[in-house]
Amino acid sequence: MAPIRGPARLASWGFSPAERPLIMITLENVTKTYKNSTVALRDANVEIAKGEFVFLVGASGSGKSTFIRLLNKEETPEQGHIYVAGKDIGRLSGWKVPYLRRNIGCIFQDFKLLPTKTVFENVAFALEVIGRPRSVIDSQVPAILDLVGLGHKSDSFPTELSGGEQQRVSVARAFVNRPLILLADEPTGNLDPATSVGIMKLLDRINKTGTTVVMATHDRGIVDTMRRRVIEIDRGSIVRDQARGVYE
Amino acid sequence: MPVKFDYLVRETTSNLGRNVTITLASIMTVAVSLALVGASLMLRSGVENATKRWQGGIEFVVFLRTDATQQQIDSLQNDLDQSPEVSKVVFVDQQQAYSEFKSLFADSPELIDSVTAKDLPPSFRIEPVNKDVDAVESLGLTFQGRSGVDQVVFASKTIRLIQQLSSRLTVGIFVIAAFLLGAAGLLILNTIRMAMFARRREIEVMKLVGATNWFIRVPFMLEGLVQGLIGAFVAIGALAAFKPFFQKWLPSAQDIPLVGGFQVSGSEMTVIFITLGIVGIAIGAIGAGIAVSRFLDV
Repeated sequence: MAPIRGPARLASWGFSPAERPLIMITLENVTKTYKNSTVALRDANVEIAKGEFVFLVGASGSGKSTFIRLLNKEETPEQGHIYVAGKDIGRLSGWKVPYLRRNIGCIFQDFKLLPTKTVFENVAFALEVIGRPRSVIDSQVPAILDLVGLGHKSDSFPTELSGGEQQRVSVARAFVNRPLILLADEPTGNLDPATSVGIMKLLDRINKTGTTVVMATHDRGIVDTMRRRVIEIDRGSIVRDQARGVYE
Repeated sequence: MPVKFDYLVRETTSNLGRNVTITLASIMTVAVSLALVGASLMLRSGVENATKRWQGGIEFVVFLRTDATQQQIDSLQNDLDQSPEVSKVVFVDQQQAYSEFKSLFADSPELIDSVTAKDLPPSFRIEPVNKDVDAVESLGLTFQGRSGVDQVVFASKTIRLIQQLSSRLTVGIFVIAAFLLGAAGLLILNTIRMAMFARRREIEVMKLVGATNWFIRVPFMLEGLVQGLIGAFVAIGALAAFKPFFQKWLPSAQDIPLVGGFQVSGSEMTVIFITLGIVGIAIGAIGAGIAVSRFLDV
């Protein structure tokens, strides 16, 4: 696998490699309320170091997804500050948000693949729309597809794949640009336990390359097996933050 | 980040192809409204050219003989300048008459070749103080029969009527065209909104992986622009095809001796066509701009 090119990437949105932070994500007194006055996150304080693997657990509607959406600025908090790679993303002007997102890969329960594009094209699309040259696409995409074990399916369409395979494509798309952070919102929510294990092994491998992984999940089995840091959210409040934790 | 040219071409054409019917509807609306605008501009130019010598309050013209001497001209000029009944005098010499003639008949080089400045009469265009028909006529007739004068021609009521009618018609057509252009803008806006809806998954993924806002917007902007531009081209083609009929239908200089022909010169047509092209692009850009800023939440 190609080495992580974090420092260079950080430099592209205003950091010199020397300033490279060890803390990747910081939430400082973050509160997020939706229009219907649901409090999705209340006074959250979290620090996540570079290379950590963090599970977000909690009931549906507890604020896990909001936590994730705040990190790539799909949502903005009312109060508090969020730092990603040392930078206050609340102060990021609108046109810079895409450059933040190039450092953050995302995967979802529903994969969000484009049904009219092949596996190869789906992954290539992520590079194409950020202006990567054809030569980079032609070398990176097959490599990442081999990594997720789908090298032989690059001409298939998403509908021809199983759920697990589709999620692997979406992992490939999220990781092809070597992001610093991988956000996963219930990535195994639609998959059976055996397939889920495969996806988790993949995420674990990606984490071992130094990528920070934040994963919201309901899957007790996965959390209890992996024994990583667990942050539990209950009705918007962080009620537990435990290293090598379990689901409950 | 540079937006790649081949990407833009591919995205724009596929967007246009996705909603062929509604795209055609907006193109046709643009074309019809711009054709109306163009036709009324042509009508205005035609009438202006035909009644050129009757603009700015000119009520009668004293045409001199082509062989009038400088002495005769000076004497007339002197009398006209002195006369308390004359408020303005414009002398048009043979060279000026010739250049007016050339611009009027720019489309008929054979006519221009057959005429030289020497064939055209010099003239005085006169705006009297008192515009009452009888007063104008009696004043004009005092110059009839002076040495060097060929004939005196008066602006008739017909001329004034033609000018009035044409300006009202132009305003009327412009109002209709403005409504149609508004409709065209809204149609383009809607077409682009539909294109964005059809591509909402792509847009979502593009935002997710960090495509810049302009990268996402530009193909939609171009789509609107292309629709406006194609509409303008259709209108321009229609007007160019229609122009010979336009000039055949209207009365020629021989039918109404007071006026020149209802000619629209080539350079005037060029100006009209460029105007239509700019308006077409503007309508497309405005429609697309509103659609992109309102419905593309990036």
